[in-house]
Amino acid sequence: MIDPVTTEIIRCALLQAAEDMNTTLIRSSYTPVIYEAKDCAVALLDRDHNVLGQSSGLPIFLGNLEECTRATERMHGRGVWEPGDVWVLNDSYIGGTHLNDVTVYAPIFVGGELVGFAASRAHWLDVGAKDPGGSMDSTTIYQEGLRLGPVRIYRAGEPDPAMIEVISRNVRFPHPTLGDMRAQVACARMGERRFAEIIERWGLDTVHAARDEIFAQTERLEREQIAAIPDGVYTASGMLDNDGIDLATPLPVTVRVEVRGDRMTIDLTDCADQATGPVNCGAAQAVAACRVGYKLLVSGDVPLNGGSFAPLEVVTREGSMLAAVEPAACQYYYSHLGLVIDLVVRALAPAMPGRVAAASYGDSMIVQLTGLDPRTGRLFVSQEATVGGWGAFEGGDGESCLINNVNGSLRDMPVEVLETLFPVRVTEYAVRPGSGGAGRWRGGAGVVREYEFQADSSLSLWFERSVTPAWGLFGGADGAPPRVVLNPGRPDEREVLKANAIPVRPGDVLRCESGGGGGYGDPAGRDPAAIEHDLREGLVTS
Amino acid sequence: MSYRVAMDIGGTFTDVVCYDEETGGFRAAKAPTTPGDLAGGVFEGLSRVVEDAGEIAFFVHGTTQGLNALLERKGARVLLVTSQGMRDVYHIARGNRDRMFDLRYRKPAPLVPRSDTVEVGGRLDYRGAELRPLDEDAVRGAARRAREGGYDAVAVSLLFSYANPAHELRAGEILAEELGDTLVVLSHQVAREWREYERTSSAVLEAYTGPVVRRYLNRIEGRFAERGLTVPVHVMQSSGGMVNASYARERPLQTLLSGPVGGTMGGVALTRLLGRGNAICVDMGGTSFDVSLVIGGEPDVSAEARVEGFPVLMPIVNLHTIGAGGGSLAYAEAGGLRVGPESAGAVPGPACYGRGGTRATVTDANAVLGRVDPDWFAGGTMTLDVEAARAAVGRLADELGLGAAELAEGVCDVANAKMAQAIRTLTVEHGIEPREFALVAFGGAGPMHAVFIARELGVEEVIVPRFPGAFSAWGMLEAEVRRDVTRPFFRPQEELDGGEMAATLRAMEAEALEALAGQGVPEGRRRAVHAVDMRYEGQDYTLTVPLDGAAEPDDPGFLTAVAARFAAAHERRYGHATPEAPVEFVTLRTTGLGEFPRAAAGGADAVRHEPAPAVRKTVVFDGREHETPVLRRESMAPGTMTAGPAVIVEDTATTVVPPGCTARIDEHGLLVIKVGGQK
Repeated sequence: MIDPVTTEIIRCALLQAAEDMNTTLIRSSYTPVIYEAKDCAVALLDRDHNVLGQSSGLPIFLGNLEECTRATERMHGRGVWEPGDVWVLNDSYIGGTHLNDVTVYAPIFVGGELVGFAASRAHWLDVGAKDPGGSMDSTTIYQEGLRLGPVRIYRAGEPDPAMIEVISRNVRFPHPTLGDMRAQVACARMGERRFAEIIERWGLDTVHAARDEIFAQTERLEREQIAAIPDGVYTASGMLDNDGIDLATPLPVTVRVEVRGDRMTIDLTDCADQATGPVNCGAAQAVAACRVGYKLLVSGDVPLNGGSFAPLEVVTREGSMLAAVEPAACQYYYSHLGLVIDLVVRALAPAMPGRVAAASYGDSMIVQLTGLDPRTGRLFVSQEATVGGWGAFEGGDGESCLINNVNGSLRDMPVEVLETLFPVRVTEYAVRPGSGGAGRWRGGAGVVREYEFQADSSLSLWFERSVTPAWGLFGGADGAPPRVVLNPGRPDEREVLKANAIPVRPGDVLRCESGGGGGYGDPAGRDPAAIEHDLREGLVTS
Repeated sequence: MSYRVAMDIGGTFTDVVCYDEETGGFRAAKAPTTPGDLAGGVFEGLSRVVEDAGEIAFFVHGTTQGLNALLERKGARVLLVTSQGMRDVYHIARGNRDRMFDLRYRKPAPLVPRSDTVEVGGRLDYRGAELRPLDEDAVRGAARRAREGGYDAVAVSLLFSYANPAHELRAGEILAEELGDTLVVLSHQVAREWREYERTSSAVLEAYTGPVVRRYLNRIEGRFAERGLTVPVHVMQSSGGMVNASYARERPLQTLLSGPVGGTMGGVALTRLLGRGNAICVDMGGTSFDVSLVIGGEPDVSAEARVEGFPVLMPIVNLHTIGAGGGSLAYAEAGGLRVGPESAGAVPGPACYGRGGTRATVTDANAVLGRVDPDWFAGGTMTLDVEAARAAVGRLADELGLGAAELAEGVCDVANAKMAQAIRTLTVEHGIEPREFALVAFGGAGPMHAVFIARELGVEEVIVPRFPGAFSAWGMLEAEVRRDVTRPFFRPQEELDGGEMAATLRAMEAEALEALAGQGVPEGRRRAVHAVDMRYEGQDYTLTVPLDGAAEPDDPGFLTAVAARFAAAHERRYGHATPEAPVEFVTLRTTGLGEFPRAAAGGADAVRHEPAPAVRKTVVFDGREHETPVLRRESMAPGTMTAGPAVIVEDTATTVVPPGCTARIDEHGLLVIKVGGQK
């Protein structure tokens, strides 16, 4: 029996080890998608692939890094791990996400014994693929870039020149890409060092005893939380607009949550089959999305470890778009994950009205521009996610113009940086009045961002949630759906939400209006002072 | 005329340190802060260290006036003027969030409501070339609105003003014509850097806190004049440098974190005195724990920071607030022990404060272990109720099945381990392991925990300065006058014109040196240092790379040399570099530094070392009770050595020396502890 003081010090040390790994990765990465968007995650694992500490940049990477070390061991056996080796994997059907998300992991040896793994996942700027920045119309994974199964990139502490050569010849921007890879290796080395220090200080047996107690504490906490939710079956359904290829056919998703005592089951089997377009994901990622919904409602502040999610079971259906198999395209794997997260929250609304919120505007809402910059003669890729309105909740209005759940802590691109780096101008960046759903508590407002192109370029768009806009709860109104207009007020004006590589000319204008959040409660119950404030501040139009 | 005086005006107390240039001795004192009119506390403090204020030759102070206005949201009413179409930049605030699992996330509430924002026409492109002229009528309209609406200040933030300030300058002229004395803040003058939200936020913060700081400075200078004092009033800046009051009135934002940076500058002075490069500065009070770093003899200064969630683009000493110090609550969760981050705060505070707190805190644990002197807490300003601490700790101990002393030591161990882990993460961010640092401990509770934290970190030496409770003020005596000048200089390496860069740096140097002259720094004591922010193409963040003077870019081998310097800095900080990858230049930075004659940091002390009666008490270390001598620091002459266990008390702090460690008073009067028993 281990004493509570030692257990707590070891628990904090493991969490801080993961934090140090995260710091190393983020501070040394080359690309803003990691450094700013925190499109990454790190985990310290024990030798049985249990999470000892995780520091999560992106919520939807919750608890699936261990799938990579597990899959490697399943394929090659435990004897495959050697000191100083570093492995890499980005296969969508194992890791769950798109090929840009590359997991780098290393076994940790102390005194010649395998004691665990250090792993990180980070979004690489480019992994090849038919279009720069990620295709919006791919129909198989083979169009989406370089696909790496579990393979070593370092052997005995040294980079494997053959693998480095393969990677650098298959990506468009080898310098920053290999820079990010080195940042991930540095992160793994930090994990190795910290875990070795912990084991040297307390001994492996004490660390294992502490681990068992830490896991038990986490599981106990989560079971208490679930036991407090009334037993029952709760469901919610929504639609993804389309798969990006067949724009007329929405794709349904139903989330069925069953709570029995201190256990929760989330069933995702009732959803569309895997689609032609790139909206599919591997099962690991559907599980992660359910864990985000669960964490939002059940265990927000509880740090993650091997005891987390013990009371949660997620059921998926192989061949569905939430558990896709080869050769399904997966580039935009996250649109329906944002929807799944919101649907888990909606399903549980009747059971926990004080904890839930109405729906948010959705996911990334991407504006991507590529071409040759006439100012430099060089290829450029600009990819922006768009902020929008969040759902209201009991006791508060939803926040306006805020990044969505699947984009972590991504910051928008400053107009001054955007115009300096790319041949484009921003003519308006503003709150979208009246877009938040009415309610006793009002949904947050979406945003307006209007661009004027300065060069012949190629424009791709990925806007979602027009079929199922952010819904209100308990009498609150839905938020406004997104609206994107090319050349407003001109004869060639057209509305478009998804498009791959359409040509635009200097002087063309793109106006993007993102969705608002849903309202909460009957609008008739809204405080008159709040209505007056919204009118004065121009957040509502009437 | 022989005294140099520094003062740190805190929330409760004003700390004063005085250096006597004739005797080379220091004196320290405390006076109650007088929140309504800080000048009251200032003069009370002065009277406690010098008999005749007329003999003060130099005066510097740190003030929280601007920060308090922000914390209490009692700043000025500001009208914000932006470019057409950009009215909501300040409210969108880059759209990011810093908590990931929170459906109720809210951004910091903006200091200017959306309805107090006015757009004006006119537009520049990314190089600063004019696309549309400034709409001067719209600016006059804004001025009318400011006057009629009774606004206290106007902040102007126009797109690309960092590249070409002409539109902002013209808008400033018009507003000054129309508004007279009302504070008008132009964003490029606050922060000449790109990124419109961050620059707007900096300008708004200056407009919001500026009128309050200006009123304060006017009042204090007026009071000095009333008493016939001619000594200039100097103010600390967030950068760790100081300026005189007239500059502080012009750029009030720079004084926002004026007080606590003194501790870091004290750390800088100690590393200089001891010939050490790196120090971890630990400032622990009753309910706070702040850490800052000195690296290579320089304070760790960032070009950007967040205050209350708002970004500020200005040089600022990195002060990291970690946990809650002595106020951190200990509790049981799912059968496990937890310490913090929740704090008992000042009210009700730890159980032993006797203000109604019943839950055990770190301070209660120290009281149970005998590591604090209950009759002389916080410099004798309060006594502790040890029985209440025992009761609170005992209840938790029962719940967890431990003895009270065992739990109390466990609570301290967990708190020390967490503080140490957080410090390690900070040093790791700089690519340096903590064992390469000395630990400088100050504040009332810092020296109590320092040795334990050092052990966790593998740090071998702990330094407790003289007057640990007033160390921030002491550090201010060691600061230099500092003026920072920045210019955007965005160039990929193939577009670099070395002659252009050198010419820009020379102009910046002239501006910085002229500013120092304006501060009364004599010729021969002014210098300028230069640096450039660089990155690899495709990276977002930059590293600041020092330059060998303004003329260096004229050198034909400059690009190769500076790229190699950048690669080395990248390797050191991040553990890897890509020497063959192309680099970009982003921002030029010039710092003008002016030295006034400093206090001799190691100067002899006026205190006489009188032997004090030996007192012993029982203190728990490693689960055992130890008969431990309690020593008065002022009784220990330089050269005195003592082996742990020992408790060393002085007016403003208590130092705990556990068994296995040795404490010594060095020739400068510093208490230096060699740390044994590393973890």
